[in-house]
Amino acid sequence: MVDPSINEHRPGLDRLQLLALAGLMVLGALFVCSATLANPASASLPWFDQMWVRQIIWYAIGIGAGAVLCFVEYHTIARWSMVIYWLTIFSLIAVLIPHVGSMRYGARRWIDLPFFQFQPSEFAKLAFILAAANFLSRPPDELRQPVIFWKTLGLMLLPFALIYKEPDLGSALVLMPTGLAMMYVAGIPKRSLMLLIGTVGVVGLLFIVDILYAPHALQIPIHPYERDRLLVYFGRDYAHFAPSGATPAELQNIHQQQLGDEYNVRQALISVGSGGLTGKGWRHGTQNALGYSPRAVAHNDFIFSVIAEEEGFVGSVIVLALYAVVLFAGLRIAGQARDRLGKLVAVGVVTLIFSHVFINIGMNIRIMPVTGVPLPLLSYGGSSVLGSLIAAGLMQNVYIHRKGY
Amino acid sequence: MLVFDELKKNDPQLRFVALALAAGLFVLLAGLWWVQVVSAGEYKSHLETQSYRTIRMPAMRGRILDREGRVMAENTARYNLSLYLGDLSGAFQTEYNRLRPIRRVAPSQPFWKFWPSSSPAPKAGSLSKEQIASLTWQARDDVAYGVISHVSQTLGQPLTFDPKNFQRAYESSLYVPYPILQNLTPEEIARFEENYSESMGVDLEVQTTRSYPLGTTAAHVLGYVQKDDSSIEGEDSFFNYRLPDYRGVVGIEGGFDSALHGRAGEVSVMVNNQGFRQPGEDVGSEPDPGHNVVLTIDLDIQRAAEQSLAQHQGADARAAVVVMNVRTGDILAMVSSPGMDPNYFTGNLPPDEIQKESALLDDPKLRPLINRATYENYAPGSIFKPIVGLAALDNGLNPDEIYQVQPDPLDPDHGCIYLGARKIKDTVHPGDYDFKRAVAFSSNSYFIYNGLRTGIEKIVALGEKFHLGEKTGLPTRQETRGIFPSLEEVRKSDWRVGDSANICFGQGQMAVTPIQIAVAYSAIANGGNILWPRLVDRVVSQDPASGETPTIFPSGVVRDQIGVRPRSLRIVCDAMLDETQNGTGKPADVPGLSICGKTGTAQVQDETGKLIAHNYWFASFAPYESPKYAVIVMVQSESGGSGGSTCAPIAHDIYAALVEKDKSLTPSVATVNGRKRNG
Repeated sequence: MVDPSINEHRPGLDRLQLLALAGLMVLGALFVCSATLANPASASLPWFDQMWVRQIIWYAIGIGAGAVLCFVEYHTIARWSMVIYWLTIFSLIAVLIPHVGSMRYGARRWIDLPFFQFQPSEFAKLAFILAAANFLSRPPDELRQPVIFWKTLGLMLLPFALIYKEPDLGSALVLMPTGLAMMYVAGIPKRSLMLLIGTVGVVGLLFIVDILYAPHALQIPIHPYERDRLLVYFGRDYAHFAPSGATPAELQNIHQQQLGDEYNVRQALISVGSGGLTGKGWRHGTQNALGYSPRAVAHNDFIFSVIAEEEGFVGSVIVLALYAVVLFAGLRIAGQARDRLGKLVAVGVVTLIFSHVFINIGMNIRIMPVTGVPLPLLSYGGSSVLGSLIAAGLMQNVYIHRKGY
Repeated sequence: MLVFDELKKNDPQLRFVALALAAGLFVLLAGLWWVQVVSAGEYKSHLETQSYRTIRMPAMRGRILDREGRVMAENTARYNLSLYLGDLSGAFQTEYNRLRPIRRVAPSQPFWKFWPSSSPAPKAGSLSKEQIASLTWQARDDVAYGVISHVSQTLGQPLTFDPKNFQRAYESSLYVPYPILQNLTPEEIARFEENYSESMGVDLEVQTTRSYPLGTTAAHVLGYVQKDDSSIEGEDSFFNYRLPDYRGVVGIEGGFDSALHGRAGEVSVMVNNQGFRQPGEDVGSEPDPGHNVVLTIDLDIQRAAEQSLAQHQGADARAAVVVMNVRTGDILAMVSSPGMDPNYFTGNLPPDEIQKESALLDDPKLRPLINRATYENYAPGSIFKPIVGLAALDNGLNPDEIYQVQPDPLDPDHGCIYLGARKIKDTVHPGDYDFKRAVAFSSNSYFIYNGLRTGIEKIVALGEKFHLGEKTGLPTRQETRGIFPSLEEVRKSDWRVGDSANICFGQGQMAVTPIQIAVAYSAIANGGNILWPRLVDRVVSQDPASGETPTIFPSGVVRDQIGVRPRSLRIVCDAMLDETQNGTGKPADVPGLSICGKTGTAQVQDETGKLIAHNYWFASFAPYESPKYAVIVMVQSESGGSGGSTCAPIAHDIYAALVEKDKSLTPSVATVNGRKRNG
C-alpha cells in the first residue's frame, strides 16, 4: 500500500505518463470508432457490440488490471516471474495445438475463450521482461559471467521460437531489442552484446538474402505469406520464385498475387499520404469508408493509417508526441528506480512499447515490412490493450516504489 | 527538459537507450513528414485515380428552327429502366452466402467442444478461387435475373437477360445504371410507377434523344445524327464512361455540329473498392449547352413545296425543289424527294416503321439519303439556254434577228439542224424564230446556231462567271460541284463542234445541281449578282437570358458578278416572262404574279448511251417587275412529260404559297420591327 504521508511531498504516480496514456486511449477509442463505423457491416451492430465500445471496455479492464498491479510491490511480482514466464510458455505451446489455438489469416495466434480471444504472445512479452529483469538484477560481478548472458539469451529465445512458429515474426522480433536493451542496461559486458548483435545481424542478413535470392531447394522453411511480405518490402518480383517452366497464365497468376500482397501496403501509404498536413477530418477519411483500406486490419494493425488520413501530419505528430511522453517518462522512471530490478522492468517495458510503435508506424510508411504488430493502446484488440496497460501498470509500480522512498 | 532531468545523472546506459529512442522517433517523424507533407500530392492523386470515375455528360444539343422560330429538330426525353447495381450489392452478398456450401467448422467455437475428437477438422467449406468466382457470378446473375423477371411481370412485358452483357457491364462500369428496358411507353411508365418500391434496385432513367417533330419535312436540310460519344476538341479525352451522345453526320446537323453540339461536361463519381458508386458529392464541370441554329427555311413554303411535289409526282418521285430569295440568297425551301425520316437514326421510330424506313433507305434507285437539290448532277437541258442567250446577246446577237428552223426530213412537223453530217432534232415546229420565240418554245436549233456563232469560249466564260462546276458553299456536307467545261478544255483539239452544240442546249459535257440553277436564275433576276446561298440565318444561345450576342450570317453576300449588260438581261427576262405567259411554262402561272420561267427536258443516258430517263425542269423567278423569289423544280422520271407539264404546276403551287405568305407577312414584319426598336 502507498503511504499517504509520502504523497504529500511527492506524487505517488507519474501523472505526465498517465496523461499521455489517457490521451492515447481517447485517440484509440475515437479512431477504432471511425475505422469500424465506416464499414456498414460493423456499423449495423448493436452499440454494445461495437468495436469502439469493446475497446473502451478493454481499456477499463486494462486500467483495472494495471491499478491492481500497482498495489503489489514489483519485487513481489518479480518473485513469481518464473512461474508467470512458464505459464505463458505453456500457453504459447498450447496455441500451436490445433483446436486449441484458432487459426486466422493463416496464423495460429489466438486461444478462443468464451468472452475473449486470448493472444498469449502479448503476455509472453511481459512475462519475458519480468523474468529477464528478475534474472539480470543480480550483483554486477555475476553479470560478467558468460553463463548469465547465455541464460538470458535462452530466456528470450524460447518465447521467440514459439511465437515465430505461430507464425508471428513481428511479435517475435520485438523481443530482440527488448532483451538487448535490458541486458545492456543491466551491465552485461559489451563484448557479449556486440557478439549477439553481430550474430543476429549476420544471421538476419543471411536469412533475408536466403529468402530473397536462394534457389528453391535451399530456402529456409518460412511461412509463405511471411516470405511474401519480405519480398514486397524488399521490392522483389515474385516471378523469380516461380517454378521453372511456368506458363504465362501461371506467371500472370503470380503477378496478380503480388499485386494483392502489395495492396495493403499501397493502400496504407495512400491513406497516410493523402491525409496531407491537416487531414480530412474525423470519420471523413475515404480510404476506409470506400473499402480500399482492408477492413479486416484497418481498426487494428493499420489503425495508424486511419489516424494519419483523417488527422494528417498534425495528427501523426500528436500520436508520436504522446508515445514520446510515455517512453521518456518511462525512462525517467527507470532512472529514478530504487533498484536494478525496477530499472530493468521499466527499460524493458519502454523498449517493448517503442519497438511496437516503430514497427507499426514504420510499416504504414513502408520503412518496415508488414507484420502483425499492434500499435499499443491505439490498435483494437483485447490482449494488446490489456498487455499495454499492464506494462504501464508495471512502470507506475516502479515509480511508486522509487528511490528516496 | 523535465523528462531528461533524471537522465543527466551518471547513467550512460540509460542515456544511450534514450538517445536510441529519440533517434527512432525522429526517423518516424521524418518518414511521416516525407509521406504526408512532401509527397502528399502524389498520394492524393493516387487516391483520386482509384476512387473516382469520370463520366462524360453530353451537352444539350441545340435546336434547329425555321426562320420564324418553328422547331425542326429538338431533344426529347426518353425513359429507360435501369438496374442500380449499387443498391443490389447487399442482395448479391446474401445470395452468395445462400449459394455457398456451409462450413462445418465454426471458427469461433470454443476449443473444448472439439477437445474429445482428435480427428482433423472437416474442410468441406473451403473453396478454391475459381469456385468462389463462379459462385459470385452465379449469385449476381440470380439476383439480376430475379429483379428483371419481377419487373417483367410488373410491366406485363417479356424482358431478356443476357448474362454475358451483364457481366461486361458489371466489370467495366458498375457505377452507372445497367439498362434493362429502353424507351418505355407512357403506359409502361405508369405501370412501373404504380409498383415502384425503392428496394427493387430498379429505377427510371431519363435520357435525351434527338428528335425531329416534323418527320420527313426538310429532312435533307436538317440531315441526321449518329451515336458518337467521342470527345470533341477542347474536351478531356479520357473518361471512364461516356453517356450516349450524338454527332451530326450531314445536313445542318453535320455542318453546324460544332455549334449545335456544345461542350460535354464531366461528373466524377466516387466508387468503392468493388467499383460500386458511393453516395457523396459529385464533382465536375457542367456541360455547356449547344447553340440553336435558325435557318432561312420557311416551313410554310417548305411544306407547300413538299406537298405539291408529292401530290403531283407521288412520294417516291426523284425530284428536287429549291426556293431562294434572289436578293438575299436565303434558301426558303429545299426539297429532295423521296424523303427520309431522320428519326430513324436516333431510334425514335416505332419498330414497324423502322423496318419500312430501313428498306426505303436501302433502295438503290430511290436513294433517299441523297439530297437531290445539292448532291447529284443533272443535265440541265433547255434551262441552260437563257445563259447561252445572255452570252450571245452580250456578244452582238440581235434579238429580233430571225432564224429559220428547217424541217426534219424524217419528221417534217418538227425542226432540226445539221452540224456537218450530224443531225440534231428540234422539238419546235419549223419556221421563223426570233429570240423571244426561240426561248418561249425552246428551240434547240436557234440556240445551237447562235451559240456556235457567239463561240463556245464566250459561253464557257459566262458559265464560269455563273460559277457552274463549282460548289455554292452550303454547309450541309452534301454538295457536288456539277460538271462544266473549262476554257482550256474547249480550246483543246479534241473538243469538237458537236460538243459545243450540246452545251448550247444544256446537254453533253455539263451537269448542274438545282441549287446552282437557283443561284444562276437569282443572278439573272437580281441584275447579275451571283450570291452565296444562305441556309443559316443565325446561331443563338439556347438560353435567351444569356445575353450572348448571336452569330448572324450576313445576307445578300455577293460572290461574283456576271458582268452582262442590263439590256441583255432585260431581253432574257422578257423572253422568260413570255414563256410562262404564252409558252411552255404556262402551267406555272399564278394570277397577279408575273413569273419569268424556263422549262427544260434533258435526256439521261446510261453508260451505253441508252436513254433511261428524263430530267424535267422548271427554273423561274418572280415577280417580273421586281424579282424576289427564284423557284427551281426538277423531276427525274422514266415516264413521259415535260418541264411545263411535270414541273411548272409544282412551281405554280409554290408561287401561290409565296404570294399567300407575303400577304400574311407584310403587316406582322412591321410590328416586329417596331417592337424591336422600342425594346
